[in-house]
Amino acid sequence: MKFRAVMIDAGPMREFSNVVTIISKLSKECVLRLTDDHLYFIVSEENSGPSPPVLWCEIPQRMFCSEYQMIGLDEEHKDIYMALSSGNLARSLVTLKTAKSLKMKLTKKQCPCLTLEIETPCVLSQQTRQVTHDIPVTVIPRKLWSDYHEPRIPDPDISIELPSLKQLRTTIDRMRTMASEVVIRASAEGRLTLQIKTDMAKVSTRFKGLNVEAFAGPIEHSDSETEETQANEDMSRICYCRVDAKKLSMFLSAEQIASNRTVCSVVHKKLVILCLQTDENVKLQCFISGIVY
Amino acid sequence: MDSGKTLCSLLKAIQFQESAVFCALPEGLKLTVEEGKCVQASAYVPSDNFTEYHVRDDVDVMFKISIAVLSECLNIFGSGEESSLKMYYRGEGSPLLLVLQPQSMYNVMTDCEISTQTADSVLELRDEDAEEVAKLVLKAPAFLGLLADIERSCEVFELNLSPEHPNVSIVTYGMQDRSCIDMPKSSDMVQSFSCESPVTLRYQLHHIRSIMKALAISTKVVLRCSSNGLMLLQLKLEKEDQRQMFSEFYIVPLLDD
Repeated sequence: MKFRAVMIDAGPMREFSNVVTIISKLSKECVLRLTDDHLYFIVSEENSGPSPPVLWCEIPQRMFCSEYQMIGLDEEHKDIYMALSSGNLARSLVTLKTAKSLKMKLTKKQCPCLTLEIETPCVLSQQTRQVTHDIPVTVIPRKLWSDYHEPRIPDPDISIELPSLKQLRTTIDRMRTMASEVVIRASAEGRLTLQIKTDMAKVSTRFKGLNVEAFAGPIEHSDSETEETQANEDMSRICYCRVDAKKLSMFLSAEQIASNRTVCSVVHKKLVILCLQTDENVKLQCFISGIVY
Repeated sequence: MDSGKTLCSLLKAIQFQESAVFCALPEGLKLTVEEGKCVQASAYVPSDNFTEYHVRDDVDVMFKISIAVLSECLNIFGSGEESSLKMYYRGEGSPLLLVLQPQSMYNVMTDCEISTQTADSVLELRDEDAEEVAKLVLKAPAFLGLLADIERSCEVFELNLSPEHPNVSIVTYGMQDRSCIDMPKSSDMVQSFSCESPVTLRYQLHHIRSIMKALAISTKVVLRCSSNGLMLLQLKLEKEDQRQMFSEFYIVPLLDD
């Protein structure tokens, strides 16, 4: 197995560092999968065995790397999968925002390592400094690869574009102090409602006029749920999902990445998928499963 | 109301207990928080702070509400955002309704239903018979600095007021120390001083410290002591427009041993 990649453009390097920082906030461990044309960061639910990932991030190598070479396991299995500490990676990449170049390679030292060579310019002179980080990795054997396949998702009932993540995050954080679960409700008319309900209060924040990308209605609701409906709303065009407020807020910390758009897809009562896409074609997807009583 | 921001910071200033008594009077809103039977803090929002203000005059609008929830709701769009606020309350047993809309964004709004409870009676600390023995007007930021300097571990806060120099002397007693701050009436932070005869009053320091958050957002503080030892602090809030909001603290003195 061999891997070698070089990044020299400031924009993509900054973005790469931001993406890794977000991942490190979401999870301590992550899996890096390398293929011919993409780098993938995959996070599975912590402390549980094989389970569908909670975060799936695709980075197209052509947009980021000026040089990219890799040889996988053998002819049939061309990919490389390795597990590493996302915190280590994020800390090593902190200096990337001002760096001139980044070289990444897979090396064999005392243990397999992902070696990062970062070249930073010196403020006063033409000389540059070079810092090398070795991050220990565990190469994942082929029989476990299937644990890290792209999750098969049931078709979402609705996909709706989200308003500013920053705005959304402040609101969710305020709600989080009052309740641990938030109900996300999306309508085919482009309305998105975040709602919490406790003994003390019921708070709903409504966004309207959002872009609906897809809607696979009508949604079937059982009779017991329809009692709360407001008379002027057509319930068959609304779906909702109850999720953990903390997880939602964690994903929303991705506001730091300059994204061009974020889409929220809801599988009625089961799953919320948040998908963020940047100008450099990085795709960050987060899966938050619904809470059902 | 055009902006709920000032109201929110005023609420935070008196938020040392979970619930407050919310009272809507024809002159304005009053929220009262009590700690034990020793400190009573109120926030006043005169009705001219609202663009529209209606209270039915045939019923008492008074209920208990969680002040933490109320201030989180007011702050739902974050502290950087000015948002307009509408408040409704139908009558006993119904929730307090809030509708918030940020000024910089047109496509979003929040509505909150905050449950209310029947209010317990509020302590009437003011005693009409007790006459006022001293009155001081101080600059709030300077007074805040003074309180912040006092060692936290002290328990007793003693206030000595006298017409003679030094007019104000604050003595604090802790486990192993005693410290003293003198403040003559010529001091920059004293805007007015009136006291006929010397008086010594003792309070618990942590009661006094409970006004610090309110001091931080105020410009002026009026300190009144009455002959029964009760201290009343009236704080005027800093606001950009001409309208005013107030907070008021009653603090019960320590009894002599």
